[in-house]
Amino acid sequence: MAGRKGREGEMLESVYSVIALVYILVACVELCDAATVLDVYRLIQYDLAGVPFGSRFANLNHHAGSLPFRSGADLSRTVVVIPIRELNVTILQEIITQKDRLGGLLLLLPQKFSFDNREGEEGGQTYGKDVMQKLAELEKLLIHANMPYPVYFAFEDDEIDEVLADIKKNDATGQHSTSTIGGYKFVVSTPEPKKVSSAIIANIQGWLPGLKADGDVSQLPTIAIVASYDTFGAAPALSVGSDSNGSGVVALLEIARLFSRLYSNPKTRGRYNILFGLTSGGPYNYNGTLKWLRSLDHRVRESIDYAVCLNSIASSENELWMHVSKPPENAYIKHLFEGFFNVANELGVNINLKHKKINISDPRVAWEHEQFSRLRVTAVTLSELSDPPELLESFGGLYDKGHFGDRTAVFRSVKLVAESLARHIYAPLGKNIQIFADGSSLAVNPSYINSWLNLFSRTPRMAPFLSKNDPFITALKRELAEHIAEVHVQYELLDGMFSFYDSTRARLNVYQVASVTFDLLLLLALGSYLILLFSSLVIVTRGLDDLIGIFRRPPSRKNKTA
Amino acid sequence: MTVFHFFNCALLTFGPHAIYYSATPLSEYDTLGTCLKTAVVYLITALIKLVCLATFLKVTENDSFDPYQELLKALIGFIDVAGLYYAMTQLTHRNISQTHKFQAVGLGWAFADSVLHRLAPLWVGARGLEFTWEYILQGLEANANLVFTVSLASLGSLMWLRKNKPKALIPFIYACAGILATMPSITSYLRRILDWDFPKVVGFELLASVVMAFLSAQLFLACQRRSSI
Repeated sequence: MAGRKGREGEMLESVYSVIALVYILVACVELCDAATVLDVYRLIQYDLAGVPFGSRFANLNHHAGSLPFRSGADLSRTVVVIPIRELNVTILQEIITQKDRLGGLLLLLPQKFSFDNREGEEGGQTYGKDVMQKLAELEKLLIHANMPYPVYFAFEDDEIDEVLADIKKNDATGQHSTSTIGGYKFVVSTPEPKKVSSAIIANIQGWLPGLKADGDVSQLPTIAIVASYDTFGAAPALSVGSDSNGSGVVALLEIARLFSRLYSNPKTRGRYNILFGLTSGGPYNYNGTLKWLRSLDHRVRESIDYAVCLNSIASSENELWMHVSKPPENAYIKHLFEGFFNVANELGVNINLKHKKINISDPRVAWEHEQFSRLRVTAVTLSELSDPPELLESFGGLYDKGHFGDRTAVFRSVKLVAESLARHIYAPLGKNIQIFADGSSLAVNPSYINSWLNLFSRTPRMAPFLSKNDPFITALKRELAEHIAEVHVQYELLDGMFSFYDSTRARLNVYQVASVTFDLLLLLALGSYLILLFSSLVIVTRGLDDLIGIFRRPPSRKNKTA
Repeated sequence: MTVFHFFNCALLTFGPHAIYYSATPLSEYDTLGTCLKTAVVYLITALIKLVCLATFLKVTENDSFDPYQELLKALIGFIDVAGLYYAMTQLTHRNISQTHKFQAVGLGWAFADSVLHRLAPLWVGARGLEFTWEYILQGLEANANLVFTVSLASLGSLMWLRKNKPKALIPFIYACAGILATMPSITSYLRRILDWDFPKVVGFELLASVVMAFLSAQLFLACQRRSSI
């Protein structure tokens, strides 16, 4: 038996000796390489009308590989690691459309995107436009693809960069790491993703009553200011949407603060009620807005003079669009637009009117104001986007991070909306008043806006993953209640064709592993060592004849000793 | 692969003990009882050692090398020798020759040491995914330790059991036994003061074990030759 083993050993050794030598040399150099752990964020997994989309699995236990692959390589047991800075979206698209089964996909976002990175948070474009563009493309691709393997996002850091460089080095020498050749193993162990049973959407409503003149029986007109606060992005745990629609919500909070100060004094209390609405379910055809409007008292709804929906107003191009559903020739719309236009001119903002007809039979609702228009309430959406976004788009993607947006644009937009509303409310006072002038006690407060934008830029808030008593919703409600007396939260179930799956974040363990080949060789070496030890001990203590005698005995004895 | 790796490391750590037992005449004289008794003695000795260490040794926050503490540790290390002495002289052995007795005692001692010190870390660590050389090195260390223990036991049997040994050899016997008994302190010194890394220490231990085994064997044979004359 020993002889056969020896022959086998020679054969194996001749095949693997070169690899083993290289491997042992490499392994000796990196003797104490401990496991790396990093936070990973899973690509969204959802069903749209029963059709599966996104990353369908969460568990990962495969070796790592990197781009580019040899053609025809089997990647079904490989986690492909791609840093975004090197990503070629078309190649990825090919991989996805070819339905190649990968072991997994790990996309490394630049370090600047991480939550911990606070430099440049005070505005300014710190990252190239091309990366943003690439991210937007990537996100669009991933959201609408069905990938039967786990897809994760992570932030680059020095450790994972080192690992990646190592993987690349291995790949370059033509050894794709499989289980026979050592390398890095990426392990994520999470429970299988479960369907989120009921997605709750919470709409927060605030009511700032106007001043009724004595003996005035008729109801006061109402102005509604609405912003949708939830997000949708490729990675639910990273979907913070500081522009879409963090900026809108922050603007709403600031406007609520400003008007509450005005309304606290009966002398400056306007003859309009102001209704504030923070709606959820925005990415899903403004489902939350619809439910909120339907639940509103019909008298309140009918009293709404007009509604202004704020959506992505951190425009760095100094350009805003007012989207309407009624034709621009409509006298009311004209009046409204003129009011905004005049203020915008004073602030140096370019504002344009854009008309988009509503197709009642089409379930798609591109703008929030369309939900109002469907219920015959005059409404406009103020946005930096000139064209209506597609379903699930522009709701806080990966690129929509706080430190890239332009903060001064938010201040400007807040001022524009507040001033326009105030001029409408206090119209009898004349055209050229400035209510929220800089430096006055009613000026827009940049630090208030900044601190809220910072909070939004680090709070992922996809509606299906927010619980009923989520601290974020509570914080929003409290903040609104700070300024306005009448605030309530309305909980609804998100309906529609969407169902979501949980386990949005996990921890990835990176292990440096030895190959099976190495262990085989080790076993072989150990076997020969033990056999040698046995033989020499027998020879020394009992003599050579005894040793030969042992091998003449029945095989059961041999097995026991070897 | 990980269970495989564990198997390999366990083979390296505990294999030589089994081989030693089965290959040498120890198995023919059925000295398993002696080995087991020694293992029990080892267990008790280890307990006493632990109690002593806990009683007399200060716990240092930093990993500094305090000569006084180290000396104390080395002295406590000599409890091992006392344990070996007890196992060799006080235990009732069935009629086996001295040659086999010291081997059986050394083997049982080393095996108990391996099981106590190495099995648990091996079970926890070597089955993990992350590959390190540590457990292979630890297995090699176990091999060296076996050689040390058997050598020490052989010298012990010379010191305590053999009456008519040549006078000239006695200092050598005591010197070698002293070196063997202080070996744990020496390796700890190498690791902490000279800051040797683990592979280097294991290499030293292997080399030292071969040298010490050779010396002990020469001494033992010299004494045996003398007594047989």
